[in-house]
Parts: sequence; structure tokens; C-alpha cells
Amino acid sequence: MHSLVEPNAWVVLRLPSGNLRVLQVAPNTTTSLGKYGSFPTNLIIHRPYNITYELQDRKPDENFNRLRIVPAAELYADILSSDADTRTAEDATPVPDAEGDDDAPPTGIEYSLVDSDSGTVVATTDRVEIDASARQTLTIEEIEALKKDGTDAGRELITRLMLSHTAIDQKTEYSLAKYKLLKTRKYIRRFCVLPLDIPMLNYWTLEDKDASKIMDMREEMIALLGCWANVHFGGSDPCEAQPIAKIKQEGEDTSMVEPEPVQTSCPGRWLVVDDTSGLLVAAMAERMGILYPSEADRLAKEQREAKSSKQGDSTGGRQPAPKDGEDTQAPAKPTDEAEAKREPEDAAQPTSPKATHKRPPEHRRDDYIPYAHANTITHIHPNSQPNLSFLRYYDFDITNPNPNAHHPLSKHLMTLSWLQLLEPDLDSTYSSPPPNVTPEEIYSWKTNRRSTFHRKRKRWIRTRHIIDTTRKGEFSGLVVASSMDPISIMRHTVPLLAGGAPIAIYSPSIEPLTELADCYSLARRAAWATNTPEEVAGKTLEEQEQWAGNEEFPLNPALVLGASIQTSRVRKWQVLPGRTHPLMSSRGGAEGYVFTAWKVKPAEGKVEARGHLRSRKRKVDDQSAA
Amino acid sequence: MSTTSPFLDPGPLTTPGALALVHLSRDNVLPIYLSKESGTVDGYTEGAVINTRFGSFPHSTLIGQPWGSQIRASIVDTGSRGRKRKLANVVDVDATGNDTEAAASSTSNTKDVKTAASGFIHILPPTPEIWTSSLPHRTQVVYTPDYSYILHRIRARPGAQLIEAGSGSGSFTHAATRAVYNGYPKDAKDKRGKVWSFEFNHDRYLKIREEVQDHHLDGIVQVTNRDVYNDGFLVDGESPEAECIFLDVPAPWQALPHLSRRKPTQSQLASSGLEYPKETSPEWKSPLRADRTVHICTFSPCIEQVTKTVEVMRRLGWMEIEMVEVAQRRINVLREKVGLNMPLERGTNQSPRNVVEAITKLKQIDGRFKEFHKDKQETDVKMEDADAEKKRGDQHGDANVVENSADSGDSLTMKPWMAGRLIHRTEGEIKTHTSYLVFALLPQEWSEEQEAAAFEKWPCGKEHKVIGSLDKETRKQEKRDMLRGIKDKKIAAAKGPDPAPKKSKTG
Repeated sequence: MHSLVEPNAWVVLRLPSGNLRVLQVAPNTTTSLGKYGSFPTNLIIHRPYNITYELQDRKPDENFNRLRIVPAAELYADILSSDADTRTAEDATPVPDAEGDDDAPPTGIEYSLVDSDSGTVVATTDRVEIDASARQTLTIEEIEALKKDGTDAGRELITRLMLSHTAIDQKTEYSLAKYKLLKTRKYIRRFCVLPLDIPMLNYWTLEDKDASKIMDMREEMIALLGCWANVHFGGSDPCEAQPIAKIKQEGEDTSMVEPEPVQTSCPGRWLVVDDTSGLLVAAMAERMGILYPSEADRLAKEQREAKSSKQGDSTGGRQPAPKDGEDTQAPAKPTDEAEAKREPEDAAQPTSPKATHKRPPEHRRDDYIPYAHANTITHIHPNSQPNLSFLRYYDFDITNPNPNAHHPLSKHLMTLSWLQLLEPDLDSTYSSPPPNVTPEEIYSWKTNRRSTFHRKRKRWIRTRHIIDTTRKGEFSGLVVASSMDPISIMRHTVPLLAGGAPIAIYSPSIEPLTELADCYSLARRAAWATNTPEEVAGKTLEEQEQWAGNEEFPLNPALVLGASIQTSRVRKWQVLPGRTHPLMSSRGGAEGYVFTAWKVKPAEGKVEARGHLRSRKRKVDDQSAA
Repeated sequence: MSTTSPFLDPGPLTTPGALALVHLSRDNVLPIYLSKESGTVDGYTEGAVINTRFGSFPHSTLIGQPWGSQIRASIVDTGSRGRKRKLANVVDVDATGNDTEAAASSTSNTKDVKTAASGFIHILPPTPEIWTSSLPHRTQVVYTPDYSYILHRIRARPGAQLIEAGSGSGSFTHAATRAVYNGYPKDAKDKRGKVWSFEFNHDRYLKIREEVQDHHLDGIVQVTNRDVYNDGFLVDGESPEAECIFLDVPAPWQALPHLSRRKPTQSQLASSGLEYPKETSPEWKSPLRADRTVHICTFSPCIEQVTKTVEVMRRLGWMEIEMVEVAQRRINVLREKVGLNMPLERGTNQSPRNVVEAITKLKQIDGRFKEFHKDKQETDVKMEDADAEKKRGDQHGDANVVENSADSGDSLTMKPWMAGRLIHRTEGEIKTHTSYLVFALLPQEWSEEQEAAAFEKWPCGKEHKVIGSLDKETRKQEKRDMLRGIKDKKIAAAKGPDPAPKKSKTG
């Protein structure tokens, strides 16, 4: 998935200051890092991720800065040497002289470990020393001059700064280390290339962008949701190999004849309600293995590109060609290479892969259902269009009517609105089937009208497929992160779940979840079991599932088991020789809670409990009788 | 390996032979392997039976049900079977006769097991979460909050190869398997997501291997009995090509030298007091996947272990080392019932709900007290007596009315399960420390030749645009260009129907 940086991929550049820059790696451009300098973007394309680079000085005959990979030994030189120091002289705090400093100061993650706790303790003179510009003998002009023509990725400047500090020999070991770190973070010309995967996207949105956009959902919450909802690769599509689904369109009856999937197993289909702009959907897709295009697909695309630009020889040997397990999931590839002809020569076009491929032959038929039957996500949205904007970082745009057919999400992600789910007849697309016309008639039309007809028919078939399969239910799990009332969501989604299916609901604050948990409280369930409301008692189990609830029982408490709420928080530590402690501060804001439960199928008729529950129930009985 | 593991795809119904979890209460889940045997099992004529405090459940009543079903208890004769067996032991001759009789009766009985009047359980499909809570403990268990975060952080995704050292109780093994699963390998060449589990303790190794078989996880989980400190992570001399690693061993730093891209040098090891174990094969093979960043997590309860691990990691070139701890809290939701009119039951606090209620009660008591004494003192004043009586009655009535109207919401019309204030609190017992998690990653190696090849493919010097952080002037210029572009298109569109505007709409 994240082996090498692909051209036009979204990556994160982490700067020495700890700031993140998210950008799309467009070939043949220059990437600017602000005050840290700039470099040609091509220098990181087809290079590995997670490597720390340093901007080298320009060679006299070149107009760009080359990059140098900074080895780990260099990054850790300071920490490791100080570790050796503490070992030789345990209790003394030797004052290291500045000589050793021109070999690389530490950088990379060690910064963020040290930096966010702005008091690295121990050294008492700390605060004074940080604000030490008064004792710095270099003037601002001199520093600026050094910055401009200083060499060695800013290390010369840092050394000069330290040497010209008047009180350098008064500093304790710790304050010196910190002073150096401070200056290094400011001046060293380094950066690190990171993949924009889900943990990174989450971290970046939470820290740098708008945390409220993703409902303050921390990593541990996403992880908990995914686990409790049992989201995983849901099996290969039993229908994948079968020919195109046929739809008969009779004059009055527009029933869909679909090849019934062989019910040997219950395929993994998850139901999602996501108000986090698609972060939750993306996280689940990552767990299901449908977020990133499969390796085989990527290679195929690369080959097409290579062929079209007539330079297919340079991939030689270096390209990894592992057989990723997802080939079975890969959509049918166009066999005729002629299709790739339209691939633009200029790969710099960032949106190139989208509309440029012709769809494989079967996709061109307007009665083709492009969705898989297993390993799918069904997303219910409150507005007429889903907001899944984060998916664009993964090369998938839901608003595109002809999405990139090679992206796994185009087959495995279905969206529908609450209206379409609950009252499909009011939905204009669903309720207006295209007119039934003979091929001859269509043939007689103008091209314009013909294409409109096909487009509308295609949309109708897709919408109908999504709505019908969703309403049929039997989902393998429910995941929710929504600003809507969870009780109302549960009322309509629980009946759609298969028996034993897990439910996981995230909320930034606990109150909505306590209300929900109270609907399944012990007392309420006992009351339901002993004297079911009259309006429900006579109904069949199926009708009971659909029951809309009343004031006393907002939800049918017999449908859900094991309702509980939990929260989890990760606390970060700094680990440095002799200076290990938790970070001094971290993000506050919403705590975040997860509600978990399982959908169950109650037995028909009245069920008496046994065991210690009995005494309590009898009491309830007595009260209601009294 | 004909069937899919019930952990990965339980199917729509419970099937014989599969693992099912019987949910008794939240922290009491019983794992059972459904058995179809119809003959007498363990003295039960109904076949295999599970006995819980909610009644007895013959397996036959649990098989073929949709998952999540509520199952009623059955009437099972639990008392006489012991006696019967004893009898059989004593009287040899009768034993055969008894058995056949039992078998005969069982075959006829299995179909019509009588449902008991009360008692039920729910039957759930196995998931790593419920399995973890029902786990037979062998070592410390890695619980859901920890393993969910770990798997997220080490990027355990479908198709990944994951090394786990210290299988322990197997909770992490199951969760990791679910994370990397992307289908069973069809043949030897078909490489799928796999968990490579290593366990030092032989008993635990046998147990986990049995579990893997019982749960139909062969082919996705490979368990090896191994001392990873000395013998490394190669399986049959082959590299697992792992990209995710989880070390739950007492001394992770001793296992780390094996998890390198190339053989660690003497100097790297000597400085941290490690010695590379004896040579096993002439050429050194890395267990890591060469073309991926490798993510690792170590799980240690003590801070000293962490310090040591981190130091060795630094020496071996691991990057982005970070240590965290996970604190989970489970939350109870309950109704706090305070008030003088609350029904007398467990959990209610019959003290005044608010100041008004307190004052009303005090007045009432005070009034009664006064009247009591008034009666005693003013027995001679007979004229006023009747009036006072009347008054008292009125007062009493008034108070009752007030009380009723104030509390009508709670005590009269409100159902007991809706009374009181909805509150939440952390559960009585919390796990304050599980372990420290150290995360790190190892980027892939990048040689001069690879760099040269990449440079040739993506030559520099022809840059036409700047991306990333731009200065103000450039940004302005870009905006101007963009606006001009839109304007041009509009003009073009106005000129005549052209395919161009359509393209811009879709693209």
C-alpha cells in the first residue's frame, strides 16, 4: 500500500518545527517548505516513505537543492551520547562543551517528544535560559546573513549560535540540550515524508485542521469502533465471477431479477452513519482492504501509463511486484491496450486517472450493477448528497457520477439518504422508473436524447439496487458517528441488522449515549419481558422489530444485548535517558465515548427469566399490578 | 480447512462443530463448541448439555438457530445421571442394558426436548472482543482497548504479514488475524494476510495451536514454538516478510536484533550490552519485508523495560519512537432515585429531593409535634378543640395535595424504570495500568543504485510550478490565473456549444 511515493499521491511533509504540510506530489514541480527552503518534488517521487531528508547545498552547476537521507545514527547521536554520559557519571551533571555539537543534533520524532512538554524539568534555570536572546551575541542581521548563505543544512548556523551564546558554559546538561533543540527546530533544513493514511489523516485533522469536523474523534476511538463493530475483510463476492445482472423491465412491473447470491455464507456488509466527512468511512474501508487500490491494479495502471508515454523500460527490476491478496477483488481490467491511448502524456494533471479510462465493456451497458455483494459499506446520509470529502485524499470522489472504476470503493461503497431508506417512494429517482421503450425506438432517437435516457436509466438501476438491498437488511454490523440522536438512528437501523451483529456508536459527549443506554436498562428490559406493552404484545417478531416505540419504551429493548459505554484515552510519554515522564500537556476537548451492543433475536412469546433477576422482576410486577 | 473460521464469517446460522459464545452476562460469556452428537453424552440423554445458572441447554436446541437468538432453557434431568453411572459401575451386567436403553431413549428424545418454564440465554457469534472477555487466562491478556489501538497504529491491514511474539492467551492473535485476513490462501503461492505467532512456553504453544485448529484459522495463523531471543523469527529458514510486529515478551530488546534489515554490527549491540546469539546459518536473512516500512509495538508493564527497549531501538535505527499508555474506563449508566416519595426498593435514597421537599417535611414534623403537645397542654380548652381538629385536617389535606402535585410526575404516573435522574459513573473497578506501549517504525532501505535509478526516471530541473507553502505573491498570482481560466472558459462557452464546458463540469 505505502511502499514508494507515487506521483500525484497525497503525502504529509513533517517539518522540524513539527508542523505538517499535506500536499499532492505533482511531478515536475518545486516543493516549498517555507523558511526551511525548497526542493524539486521529483526527488521524493518513487522514493520510500518515512525517510528523513536534509536539504543539501546547491551544487554550483545546478539550480536546485538535492536531498540527503539522514541516517538514524545521526538523528540519535545526541541522545545516545548523553545516554553514555549518564552511564559513566551517574550523579554528576557534566557540562558538555559545544565542540561536540557540530555533529548532527537530533531531529525527527525526538523533537515532538521533547518539544510538547515545554518544561523538560530538572534544570531549574530552564525558563531563564529559553528566553536567552539577550545573551546571544549574534545580531539579527548576522543570523539572517548566515541563514541566507549558511551551508550544511543550517547546522553551521546552529553551531555559531551556540558558540556565541555568552552563558553556554553555565547551562546544565538539560538546558543545553533544550537550547540546542530549540535552535535546531528553528533552523535545521530537514523534513520527513509520511504517507497520508488513516492514522495520519486523523492526526492532521485533529491537530492542524478543524477537529470539530471529525467530531473530535481520536485514533483510539476509531480503533475501538472498528474492533467493536467487528469490521474486517468481509469475504470475496460470491457473484463476482457471474455475468451481468439482468433486469427485466416489463411494462407495468419493474421487478429486478438478480442472480441470487448463493447463501453459503453471510457476506460482510456494514452499515455506516458518518457525519465526520468520510473519515469513519475511510477508516472502515482501510480495515476492509478497500481503501487503497490493490497492488495489481496499481501496476496495471503504471504499465498503461508507461506504454502511453513510451518509456516503459525504466521500471527495471526495482519495482516490487508482490502478489497482493486483493487481486480477486480487482475489477476487470480492460484488455485492449488501445483504451489507454487517451491517457494524457502530461502526468502532472492531478485528476488524470478519473474520466480518462474508458470503462470496461460491461460497464458500458446501462443495466449493469457496479456494486459488489460482499465486503461493502452502506452509508446513510442525512442530506441529499453524502459528505465524504476526505475520500478525495484516496483518489475517490463520490460526487463524480462516473467514478474511477478501478478504485475498490467504487464497487464497495454505496450511499443512500434517510429518505431513500425509510420512504423510498418519495424519492424522485427511485419512484420514477424510466419509460419502457424498445431498442428500435431508442435507436431512432437523437444521440443527445439517447444518452440522457441511458444515463437516467443507469442511475435509476443503481439507486434501486442500493435501496432494495439495504432495506432487505441482514447487515453484519452498524457503525455510527453522527450528530443526530442515536435513539432515532437505532430505531431505524437495528431492524436492518442480522442476528448477533455488533453495534458501535461514537459520540463526543456522553449524554446522548447514556440516554440510549437507559433505553436498554435492566429495569426496562425486565419490565418489557414481564408485561410487554399491549400495542406490541399481539404482533409477530418481525412487526415487533419494526415497532416505532412509545414514550415508555423508545426502543424495543429485547432487540439489543450487552449495551455498555466505554471511553479510552492514550497518554503519551517522553522517553529520554534519565528524563522519562508523561508529556506535560495534550489535547483536551471532547472526551469521546463508544456505545457497544449486539443485535439479538428474541424468542417468540413470553420469556421468563431465571436466577437472581427474579426477585427484582417480581417487585416490578407487584408495582405495576398495584 | 474446508470452512471459514466463525470469527471471520460465522454464516447466518449456528452450525454443529462451530464455536459459539453463550452470553450469560456482560462479563460472563461461555465459549462452547456445538456438538451434534445425539447419543448419550456424559450421562445426558439429550446429548451434550450446558448447565448455567439460567438453566440447562442441550446443544441440539442451540444448533441451526440464527445467531443472536434467545434460547429458552430446557427441562434436563441433571440429578439422576450421576447415580446412573455409579450404578453402571457397580453392576457390570446391567451396564450394557442401561446404555442401550439410554441410547434408544436419547434418539427419540432429542427432537422433543421440553422447554423449561423459565430461563434463557443468548447465543452470539464469536468475535475477538467477546472471545477476549471469555478467555481462559494463561498469561496476562491484551484487552480490547490496547489491541485495537495497537493494530491501528502498526497498520495491520488486510493482506499484511504480522509477527506476534508471545502468543500468550491468544487474545491478540485473534484480533490480529481478523485485521490481516483477506481470504484463505488457495495454494502455496497465494500469499494472503497472515499472523506469524511465536510462543516460548511449550504448554501454551500446544494450547494456542489447538485453538487455531478449532477455530479454523490454519493457513492464516502460523504458530511456532520458539525462543525468539536466541533463535529469531525465520520459519523453516524462510522469512515471514513481516511489515507489522507486536512483541509481548519480557525482554523485547533481546528480540530486536533479529528484527533488522541486515545483520546488526557488533558495535551496535555491544554498546547496549547485547550479544548477537550464535550463528545458525551462513547467510543472514531478515524477517522483515524489504519494500515496506515496518511498524513495531512492544508491550511491557514496567518502565525499566521501556527504557531499555527504546535505547536498543535507537541503536538499531528505529524511527519515530513513541511510548504511550492506554487508559480505558467503562461507564455505568443508572438512575439516581432520590426523594421522599420514591418507592421503597433497592438503590433508592429516601431523603429529600430538594430544599422545598426538606422544608415541607420539616414543617410537617414540626406541626405534628406541636399538635401533639398542644393536645396535652390545652386539654381544658374544649371550645377550640374542634376547630383545631378541623384545621389540622385541612392542613394535612393541603400538604398532601401539594405533595401529590409536585411528585405526580415521579411516583404516580411514571414507571419505575423512568423515575429518577439519569446519571453515569465510572465502573467500580478500573484497570489503571495495563502496559506501556512502545511504537516505532523502520523505513525501507534505499541504496545509491535505487536512488540513481529513481533520479533518472524523475529528473529534476524542469520544474514549472511551486507547491507547498507559497509566499503571498505567488498565491495571488495563482488565484489570478485561476480566475482568468474560468473567465476564458465562460467566453468559450458563450461562443458556441463546445465539448469543453461539459468536460470541466465532470472533471
